[in-house]
Amino acid sequence: MMPVRLLGFVLLLGAIVAFFGALSPHFAATANVSAILRHMSAIELAALGLTFVVVVRRSDLSFPGIASLGAMTAGWFVAQEQGLPLALLAGISIGIACGAISGAAVGFMRLPDIVSTIAIGAISASLSFLYSQGATISDNFVSVGLVDFNNRSIGLVGVPVLLMLAINLAAWMFLHCTRFGRGFYATGENPRSALLSGIRTRAYVLGAFAASGGMSCLAGILRSAEAGQAHVHIGSSFLLPAYASVYLGAALFGRASVAATFASCLLISATLNGCNLLSVPYYYGEGIIGLLVLLTVIAFDPRTGGLLDTAIRHSGNKTEA
Amino acid sequence: MARNAGWRLSQLVLRYGLLIVLAVLVTSFALACPGFSTGTNLDSMLRAASIAAIMYGGATWAIASGEIDVSFMQVAAVANMLVAATVPYGWALAVSLGVLAGIGIGLLNGLIVGLLRLPSLIVTIATGGIALSIATSIGRGSSVSIANAGFIGEFLSVNVVGIPAVASLAAVIYGIAWYLQERLLFGHYLYATAQNRRAVMEAGIPVSKIIVILFAISGVTSATAGILLAADLASGQPRIGESYFLDGLTAIFLGALVIRPFEPNALGTLVGVLLLATLTSGTALLGWTDWQQQMLKGFLLLVSLVVVFGARHATVEDGEAKGVQAARKRTAAES
Repeated sequence: MMPVRLLGFVLLLGAIVAFFGALSPHFAATANVSAILRHMSAIELAALGLTFVVVVRRSDLSFPGIASLGAMTAGWFVAQEQGLPLALLAGISIGIACGAISGAAVGFMRLPDIVSTIAIGAISASLSFLYSQGATISDNFVSVGLVDFNNRSIGLVGVPVLLMLAINLAAWMFLHCTRFGRGFYATGENPRSALLSGIRTRAYVLGAFAASGGMSCLAGILRSAEAGQAHVHIGSSFLLPAYASVYLGAALFGRASVAATFASCLLISATLNGCNLLSVPYYYGEGIIGLLVLLTVIAFDPRTGGLLDTAIRHSGNKTEA
Repeated sequence: MARNAGWRLSQLVLRYGLLIVLAVLVTSFALACPGFSTGTNLDSMLRAASIAAIMYGGATWAIASGEIDVSFMQVAAVANMLVAATVPYGWALAVSLGVLAGIGIGLLNGLIVGLLRLPSLIVTIATGGIALSIATSIGRGSSVSIANAGFIGEFLSVNVVGIPAVASLAAVIYGIAWYLQERLLFGHYLYATAQNRRAVMEAGIPVSKIIVILFAISGVTSATAGILLAADLASGQPRIGESYFLDGLTAIFLGALVIRPFEPNALGTLVGVLLLATLTSGTALLGWTDWQQQMLKGFLLLVSLVVVFGARHATVEDGEAKGVQAARKRTAAES
């Protein structure tokens, strides 16, 4: 089953590359490919955190607000000349803390996930105004090295890309090669069976939300390093692409996983970059992502008896016979 | 007997508690800020609240059926921009195009969620993104101003017996919604679907069709509010949806505290909208900034969720505990 789905992804990526490559000679150039990867790293990290939440079959709408809080916290520490490591640590810790609050509300207090995370996201976003009354923070961004952290390259590959690859590898090993990872999937598949099998489902839900909060803050910090300034709405642009990456990946590969999120985020980023090169106006971005995820989910989601699934079932029948 | 009376009292407080909160808030703001209870302030409060209430009307039912609609504010933005762009060809055409756009996006949501059974959150996030792009592309990224506010503008400025006409419109819409929800089978189907979609389907009720209709209604009410906003602001604003997202969900879930405890319902949303309008106006007069108001709304939403779901879990767990005790007694008696 997996090879067929992988083939579907490769064909889709091939089609995108061929389409934009034919229309714009710059698309497949090395510089552009590395730009795509560098730009995608922030969104991919936010989507990776969200993947954990989707694996335990919950929804998190708090991460955009939390990302703003994390970026502003890190920005404030940078502006106070506290050094890059401390700023990163503070920004990510506050994200993990806020995510854990979401997770406690959903996992332990059993509040409905969508609405309670909207509330926690709104509170987090409003807390991000506390540092500067809503003004952007950009003091010392260059001197402390935050901008350089985003721009530096090792060989051909940018530091944010390496960071993304390293975190993805670690997340993949954790989610797919350890018993804790199985615990996340078990919690999502059937919480009651998982609980009776000795899995602390509530703790897993809390952990998933904490991961989402922390990762989204790292993403927010990377975005602010890219822009050279932190602002209070920096996270709100994450919502659609992050959800699109996770659900597109889940539809393409049959379930949410680290590799699926990475692959579909690459698809989305390549498409957006291609549209950008063809000078499609920026405001079509949301529509393009929305259309892409809607069409893919309709075509490939197992629940809809999508086209690909029917094909797989047919080939499965043949091998059985 | 005494326990029964206490239980009834707690039910009564639970059912109408938010109304008491609303009354207390209105009274205290009226006493604290002299500008609050003036005619002009109450008038503008009522107008803004009526438009907001119309926007959230359909989403209330979509959420009551156990789905979620997070595209409602972007549907309003599309209708808003479409009206602004087509007003030069006449208000009648502009209004019908706006309503058609609302029905179109609502039907799209409904067909995907109702017939294909895809999760409503991701579907409406995606269609919301598409709607936002459409809204923004109409004005190529900027707002579109409207030269004359037409008959909608006249309707918005008219007061009937001292009450804004638009408030009467909202009242009529919510009156009809209440009747449909509480007095017709439709309401039973709506809340039964939220409980167990499969069971309702097995009972022979066309659940998919109901969900399609609910999302279409949500599209129409959102678009209506978008049209009203176009005349009210004398312009089309592509990013108008952002401010209604949190307010809408807060109003709907605060509303789930009253009248029909624990379930989003039409009159509840109306109370929620009035409460938020009171808070927004009152705190603005006290000099609160936008983000302080946002924090307050966030906390309000969270607290109402804790109260609603805390109470619901408590009742369910009580029931389960009693069931377990009864079963233990039975097995003890049998052995």
